[in-house]
Amino acid sequence: MIKLRQISKSFGRNEVLKGIDLTVEKGEVVAILGPSGSGKTTLLRCINYLEKPNDGEISIDDFTVHCRKPVKKDIHILRQKTAMVFQQYNLFRHKTALENVMEGLVIVKKLPKDEARKKSIELLEKVGLGNKLDSYPSQLSGGQQQRVGIARALALNPEVILFDEPTSALDPELVGEVLAVIRKIAKEGITMIIVTHEMSFAQDVANHVVFMDEGVIVEEGNPREIFQSPKEERTRQFLARITPESTYVI
Amino acid sequence: MKLDFSFLWTAFIKLLPAVPTTINITVVSVLCGFIIGTFVALSRIYKVPVLNQISTVYVTIIRGTPMLTHLMILYVGLPLLIDGLGKEFGWSFRSVSIPMIGFAYISFSITAGAYFSEVIRSGMQAVNKGQLEAAHAIGMTTPQALRRIVFPQAFAAALPNLSNSVIGMLHGSTLAFTVSVVDINAQAQIVASTNWKFFEAYLAAALVFWGLTILIERLTALLEKRVNLYNRGGVA
Repeated sequence: MIKLRQISKSFGRNEVLKGIDLTVEKGEVVAILGPSGSGKTTLLRCINYLEKPNDGEISIDDFTVHCRKPVKKDIHILRQKTAMVFQQYNLFRHKTALENVMEGLVIVKKLPKDEARKKSIELLEKVGLGNKLDSYPSQLSGGQQQRVGIARALALNPEVILFDEPTSALDPELVGEVLAVIRKIAKEGITMIIVTHEMSFAQDVANHVVFMDEGVIVEEGNPREIFQSPKEERTRQFLARITPESTYVI
Repeated sequence: MKLDFSFLWTAFIKLLPAVPTTINITVVSVLCGFIIGTFVALSRIYKVPVLNQISTVYVTIIRGTPMLTHLMILYVGLPLLIDGLGKEFGWSFRSVSIPMIGFAYISFSITAGAYFSEVIRSGMQAVNKGQLEAAHAIGMTTPQALRRIVFPQAFAAALPNLSNSVIGMLHGSTLAFTVSVVDINAQAQIVASTNWKFFEAYLAAALVFWGLTILIERLTALLEKRVNLYNRGGVA
């Protein structure tokens, strides 16, 4: 179980997160929605300390990081318990697909090379890239790179995988293959937090939807509640604008 | 004017024994410069307190003054310092026992360090920030991430500039003649002093330097091909 308590973050005078509380149960798939600038990506990046929150607490099971005075070692542990899939993929450019997935296993988890290789090949096969083991990122399409990114995150057996708009940088044609992989691993019961603009995907895959605006959580609940009967006016506005087809009556 | 080709050849052969001296000075200053440069670049990029300020001052002073001046100051200053301290603490070590080439090693390493630090810094800044973030995200520590992810890519990015700096140090090493080190250029002067055919002797020296430079260029091209293997795709 992941628990965020009163997470706040400012960039200079700009207060991006204003005390976020969020609880994510084990195996839950959380979709975070909201307009640009609402702080959703910053929140995600705070969870594995790519951004340093100014205050608050991040707990994973009984391990807690106190963000006001974090211990370096705790940040390191937190990062080992979480994994991130980036909008821009951020694959290691000088390493092949296989090496990208193996890197964390060999260097961080200290697995013997043979074992790491075997596990990495399995994972790449799972995301449909068993035939691209020795390709460098520059030889892969965006969708393929992102699937390697997902395999790299899965390899570490994290408590939670954080997805930062995993399909926003992709050609529309390639979005489907990445979403299919995410859907597949969601079914395996891995806890995931996904920042996304793909509404139908969120509706379909998530079992917990969070709507954020201006640094606070406006509303959260199961997808049916949020998409079909939002309580807050702000959520309604946002959904009406982003899913216009639902407002048409033919 | 008539060019004495046979003396050009004789001079060329007579210069060869001085080649190791030139190469030694270049290799030592490049290696030490690379190490100093890496530390300086890291302290500046990570804004390490105190070290950052020292590094900034070091780079601006060394780059702001000629390489020959560094050598002269060190050549005159270091013995004063060593013998002064020696007298104070009763050392048996005297500055006269420092070989002349030692001054060239130390001085040129200091020079190279300042120039290399900027090359290394620009190489590291050419690496996308996302690479370091991704390394942190999979649980690597910053030293691990630098060593395994950032440095290899920074090296590839910096290689053309690095080779430029290495060539610069090779050619700069000729200044060592001012502290009586017999490098290729000084040897040319000695070879010509018997018959005053300086033109042929210096021409021969130029040929030797050109050859060494081509060697560095070739090695860089090979290395570049190797470290840039990962960029061969075309998809972005």
